Amino acid sequence: MTALALSDALHERVREFARGTTHDDFEALALEIARFQASASPGFARLVASRGGKLERLGDVPGVPAEAFRLTRVAVHPPELDVARFETSGTTGEPGVHAFRTLETYEALALGFGARALLGDRRGPRVVVALAPSPGETPTSSLGFMLALFQRHWDGRSLADGDFTRELAARWLFEPDGLYLDGLEHAANVARRRGEPLVVLATAFALVGLLDALGGRTLPAPGETCVMVTGGFKGRSREVEKSELRRDVARAFGVPETHLVAEYGMTELTSQLYEGTLPGAALSGERDVLVEPPWLRVEPVDPVTLEPVPAGELGIARIVDLGNVDSAVVVQTEDLVRRRGAGIELLGRRPGATARGCSLAVETWLG
Amino acid sequence: MSDAVRRVEALVLGARALADPGTQLGRRARRVLVDSTGLSPEGVELALSRCLETEPSAAEITALVASVRPAPRVHVILPANVFVAAHRAIALALAAAECVHVRPSRREPHFARLLAEAAPGLFELTEKIRAERGDHVWAYGGEASLDAVRAGLPAGVELHARGPGYGIAVIDAARVTPETAALLAADIVPFEQRGCLSPRLVLVVGATDVAERFAWLAAEALAEAGERVPVGRLDDAELADARAFRDAYRYAAVLFSAGPGVVASSATERWGVAPSGRNLVVAACSEPLNLLSQRAPELTTVGVAAAPALRDALRKCLPHARVVPLGTMQRPPFEGPADPRP
Repeated sequence: MTALALSDALHERVREFARGTTHDDFEALALEIARFQASASPGFARLVASRGGKLERLGDVPGVPAEAFRLTRVAVHPPELDVARFETSGTTGEPGVHAFRTLETYEALALGFGARALLGDRRGPRVVVALAPSPGETPTSSLGFMLALFQRHWDGRSLADGDFTRELAARWLFEPDGLYLDGLEHAANVARRRGEPLVVLATAFALVGLLDALGGRTLPAPGETCVMVTGGFKGRSREVEKSELRRDVARAFGVPETHLVAEYGMTELTSQLYEGTLPGAALSGERDVLVEPPWLRVEPVDPVTLEPVPAGELGIARIVDLGNVDSAVVVQTEDLVRRRGAGIELLGRRPGATARGCSLAVETWLG
Repeated sequence: MSDAVRRVEALVLGARALADPGTQLGRRARRVLVDSTGLSPEGVELALSRCLETEPSAAEITALVASVRPAPRVHVILPANVFVAAHRAIALALAAAECVHVRPSRREPHFARLLAEAAPGLFELTEKIRAERGDHVWAYGGEASLDAVRAGLPAGVELHARGPGYGIAVIDAARVTPETAALLAADIVPFEQRGCLSPRLVLVVGATDVAERFAWLAAEALAEAGERVPVGRLDDAELADARAFRDAYRYAAVLFSAGPGVVASSATERWGVAPSGRNLVVAACSEPLNLLSQRAPELTTVGVAAAPALRDALRKCLPHARVVPLGTMQRPPFEGPADPRP
């Protein structure tokens, strides 16, 4: 079987796994993907060799550091087969790139788990808008791509009615020059008139912008409104405590705080994690606990040895994502996490040694 | 001779007593600094004998005194990463004022205390800086520490903040030799790459295969140096940084074992700089001037093994960095701050 055919077959098996229509075992499938990647990626093969060269159990599979995506191409296929290149969003330094040969698996996984977390038990369409910039025709942001996907699949209808004329901008309501509050109010009114839930997909700093723009006012949102919150502030707005943001945004939309659902994704991954707080949603979990989809596992590991830490202790996230068929099935991040209940708690980034002295932590150079 | 020069000279005499393994203070310094710095005994010895400035010329001291403005009183907040840096920091303060208060680093308080013993009455050690209007404060450290200092000072106090930075080495293809690699190792080994003068990236002006050959030579030189001066104790954060570096570059580049560390030869168009420990990134580069000018605000020191024309061009393009021969990066002349950036 050629590498492409093998990749196609693995993609299909991952999608079946996500649909629950297969008896494939998570670990066995992850190992098959890892072996495929070791055969097709010299960089990954070097990592495997440095750990003894075996790929017999999931613990044998070395995590590809997220930093590797900044330094080089992390893909088993040649660039000419790319259909998308998603870039990391750091505020300084050169971005990392996650290249995709197909987006079919990405779409299936994102829609499948996103629906479980963000759509309540009400069937039918909803009005979906994003407090984020429009990703354009060729998205370079995986988040932008995902938000557009949700808008298309869960809504996909025109928002134009009455005197509302800015149809093109109607769903992307936070551009670099500011928040489009009229657009959000219009979307909320449309949802109310249609008797449908409103789904607002937002970055945390856009929500701070919204609160500032509202100045204490509330929005005419339907009672079933759900707000997906993702990302941090990265110096782009004033910083607001997570609990304060949750409280104020819930008040602004006139919904309980459980209607705010945190999302965690990384450009280096294909899949996402969510809080399971939305009443009536298929996903269930405590506040501040990010729940993994069945095709992704997070294991906190020791930052030095990369060995799993005891249950409940803090470690850095080693993430096994079956969706990463053509890149890195195990990604080693430097994010601090702790297992709690049905998922993980995210506790920021591991502080590096260089941040505390007169030496300097330096972003990637581009030669 | 001015009072300022006399004070600096008295401090240098104290430093000389610490550098001397035959004195009681010199023996004590060697004992306590191994614990507080995490350096190996050989690393402490190297720092005291090669990096601590004990024989500055009269011209250097005159220049050092001239490099600072007089002040009624100076407070010094010392860094921890490079213990001998306390000597120059206190010398600069003594050059500016008769009344000097020094707050040692909490992680490495011993060298300042030893200096105070070796040069009694020259300055006062303190746990807390109590600056008043008109005083000058010289603070060394990371951005977060400096921000905290800045926020805590009363109005009218002049702050001289010396923030983070790093060094790099530039080597032209004609000088890719074992001798050049040995000079580079001499700049890397002291202080385990923790200081702002240490070279954490080498740009080889030439083709990728030449850079890779130099990476291999550097790894050999570092391994050999590691036999003479074993690596010290790295803390958990440093070990985690080293692990992350090693794995990322194992995926993205060619990695050579360098005794206690690794040297990455990056054939890609992107690279970073190495973390502390005996680690290094070597990259091929055709236009170093353009590349380095973009990084000028971060660069303190450039160690050069290249033709004079390139060295002169680097000096012109990086007016605020110290451009010096390779092998001397950790020994800046005692004529002003080690980090010359404004």
